[in-house]
Amino acid sequence: MKVGLFIPCYINAVYPQVGVASYKLLKSLGVDVDYPLDQTCCGQPMANAGFEDEAVELAKRFDRLFEHYDYIVGPSASCVVFVRDHYGNLLAKEQHRCASEGKIYDICEFIHDVVKPTSLAASFPHKVSIQNSCHGVRLMHLSAPSELNIPYYNKLRDLLSLVKGIEIVEPERPDECCGFGGMFAVEEHAVSGRMGRDKVQRHIDTGAEYIVGADSSCLMHQTGIINRDHLPIKTIHIVEILASGL
Amino acid sequence: MSTKHSIAAEKFQENRELASWHDQTLWMVRAKRDKISKEVPEWEKLRDMSCAIKQYSNSHLDLLLQEFEKNAIANGAHVYWAKDADEYCSIIHHILEGHHVKHFIKSKSMLAEECGLNEYLEEKGIEVVESDLGERILQLMHKRPSHIVMPAIHIKKEEIGELFVKEMGTEPGNNDQTYLTHAARKNLRHKFIEAEAAMTGANFAVASTGECVVCTNEGNADMGTSQPKLQITAFGMEKIVPDRDALGVFTRLLARSGTGQPITTYTSHYRKPRKGGELHIIIVDNGRSQILADPDHVKTLNCLRCGACMNTCPVYRRSGGYSYTYFIPGPIGINLGMLKAPLHYYDNVSACSLCHSCQNVCPAKVDLADQIYRWRQKLHGLGVASSSKKYLSGGMKMLMEHPHLFNLALKSAPIANALPHWMVYNGLNDWGKEHEMPEFAKESFNEMWKNNKVK
Amino acid sequence: MSSREDILQSIRRNTRVRYEKPDYLPLEQEAMTYLDKLARFQEVMTQVGGRAVILQEGEDLNTVIRKLYPEAVRVAAYMSEVTCGTGVQCLSCATFHPDDVEKPADLDGTDLAIIRGSVGVCENGAVWICQEVEQRAVYFISEALVILLDRKNLVNNMHEAYKRIDTGDYGYGVFISGPSKTADIEQALVMGAHGARDVTVILL
Repeated sequence: MKVGLFIPCYINAVYPQVGVASYKLLKSLGVDVDYPLDQTCCGQPMANAGFEDEAVELAKRFDRLFEHYDYIVGPSASCVVFVRDHYGNLLAKEQHRCASEGKIYDICEFIHDVVKPTSLAASFPHKVSIQNSCHGVRLMHLSAPSELNIPYYNKLRDLLSLVKGIEIVEPERPDECCGFGGMFAVEEHAVSGRMGRDKVQRHIDTGAEYIVGADSSCLMHQTGIINRDHLPIKTIHIVEILASGL
Repeated sequence: MSTKHSIAAEKFQENRELASWHDQTLWMVRAKRDKISKEVPEWEKLRDMSCAIKQYSNSHLDLLLQEFEKNAIANGAHVYWAKDADEYCSIIHHILEGHHVKHFIKSKSMLAEECGLNEYLEEKGIEVVESDLGERILQLMHKRPSHIVMPAIHIKKEEIGELFVKEMGTEPGNNDQTYLTHAARKNLRHKFIEAEAAMTGANFAVASTGECVVCTNEGNADMGTSQPKLQITAFGMEKIVPDRDALGVFTRLLARSGTGQPITTYTSHYRKPRKGGELHIIIVDNGRSQILADPDHVKTLNCLRCGACMNTCPVYRRSGGYSYTYFIPGPIGINLGMLKAPLHYYDNVSACSLCHSCQNVCPAKVDLADQIYRWRQKLHGLGVASSSKKYLSGGMKMLMEHPHLFNLALKSAPIANALPHWMVYNGLNDWGKEHEMPEFAKESFNEMWKNNKVK
Repeated sequence: MSSREDILQSIRRNTRVRYEKPDYLPLEQEAMTYLDKLARFQEVMTQVGGRAVILQEGEDLNTVIRKLYPEAVRVAAYMSEVTCGTGVQCLSCATFHPDDVEKPADLDGTDLAIIRGSVGVCENGAVWICQEVEQRAVYFISEALVILLDRKNLVNNMHEAYKRIDTGDYGYGVFISGPSKTADIEQALVMGAHGARDVTVILL
């Protein structure tokens, strides 16, 4: 089983430690993981803004970069699900059969559903509040969406439960959007900012020290607000906790 | 980089207290919907079934509408077909004129809003009275609904209290909701009694029986139609359902989704005219048959007009109904507006973070967020894409397609961290209006990997 | 060409895939049911803002109604006898027949109307009223409603209900679930928007 690590652009630029933790975590679980060089962006920001066609070249490049891997695994539910749900359609326009869509996983999904570890070495003696991201929840099915009448499950909570000393909570309105949404955050900044502030406040109200999520984009948005307003909470990507001590 | 929606939304947010009240009140309705839907174990199968029935009926409109017509005529009703808003309005005017109607009472109908019926009739000298309390308040205030089920959700009771002092002679300063509601009850009782004709929309039209079904909580549709002998009922043609068994599915979903009630107080089935009276039914197209040919958007015709997508939409709750330029706001309104006139209503397409919550609450499984995504892809072709967004997106494309440029950018990005605050947060940077900028890492992941630092 | 033909043609021209009609049966068979329908119906009637009372063995219907609405002066009813379980009771507490008025407006000011329901739905408190009088205004204009319902006619859910209802000779019927209500002013729930302010279902 050969796994290609997918590092989205903003993790590459802003949160490389998330990439490092992802690599270490997969390695520690005995996964044969490699990083195909010179990755850039999956194209989601352009597509969500309405310029899907500008993602076609990127999709072709991405598909080639990962063609020899059995799995593609990345630490960003939103980017992964963009590849999974949209590349087929984008590449069909180019008469190119997409190879990535069937083998790409968000790292939490991959560890939870494919690797299935029963224990982790990690320890994180803190109270954390889960950021259930929209695309993680509603498109990738990482947890039961609050709108649906289906039994509760949460893959992030399951994985965090393997960490020693951690206390896990979820905010009120557990999967309401934090307001990032790519260029939405800029174009509709007033509403986006309000959504982000409401979200951060609900995380704070749980008494947690950290907001933990599987999407650095939501965390980046909330960090920007926390820093602007000097709020008493920090953000952290879930792999950084799962890989703690490695 | 702004749209009419984003500008209006920013304004809405300026009144923090009202904006926050609006968000919390509508969230409460969503929470009620969650709770009551979870009391029904087969809920998700009901949604699947409702979607399947709508897909069946909307792909058999020609047959079902003719079946409806045949049965309705056999029941003693007059049936009309209206191609567009004008024809709909003029048919109604013609019926009213033929019966010398001067006072006309209406229950809530989104179709009438869509077609501008009230303005049309008032111009012809017919007094139109809205009988739904929320609609009546707005009519007296000369305002439009801001929500399709809770039309006056944006108005505070103090304003209503003041209005009623003037219009209904209530005690000044008494803004108690029960008091005001009962004052309107008394006031509208006279309007019901003096009306020479009453009109309703329809939530469902049943092909197998030729009856129209109307759901209300107030009982205003029935108060109206049980007084005068002349009843007019009009519906958009996607309201057709095959049979009463289908109603068994929809009546279980509608109120639970819309307001969190197990059913509306009244679910009225109008099959025949009243004894000695007349029942006129108008089937309206007004662009609907065109939507059938659009595979990307045909599912908008599944919509039951329950309003659940508005209540769950984090953007609607924080921007209010008036921030949208189409008369139906929220996720369904964004899509219906684009179907009506894209060059007129494209400003609403920005009002979505693509969180997809609307798709999960929709009782007829309209793929609302997916459709908004698709509309965004079409804005460029329509020539109305935001030029700054296009510029940003094009720049990103150029950068991302050339890894050496991307790597170069990653290398120089940390310099931005050191820029003086006034240069970054200068008012031109819309991200900077709400947030601090993210700090670029000194070494990108690409570089760390190349330097063998990832172990 | 008429608008009717135009519209039908436009529909035919634009219809793409024709979807099959789904089979309702599996869903209807799976729909929720209640072990104790009587208790459930009483519970849900409270939830929708009304009440349901059970007429006990040997109780006089008129006494029960009078006790519930001691101040009602104008009381409308259109049946003089009511079958209660195995016996028949005379309905003597009404003061007039709703069809004895000249026009529906004359029903304004009715304090209480006693009407008959034919099916009661346990999932939502809806009771099917098939129009039985010429002036159906009486169902809505009265300040309070007493709905008489045979407890044998309680069904679990709307699927079952729709198999048992009809609109009768008058061609009209309505499900009524509790009193008329609105929340149009700041989402505060108020009973008595236009229709009855108070609804009691008496289970016979």
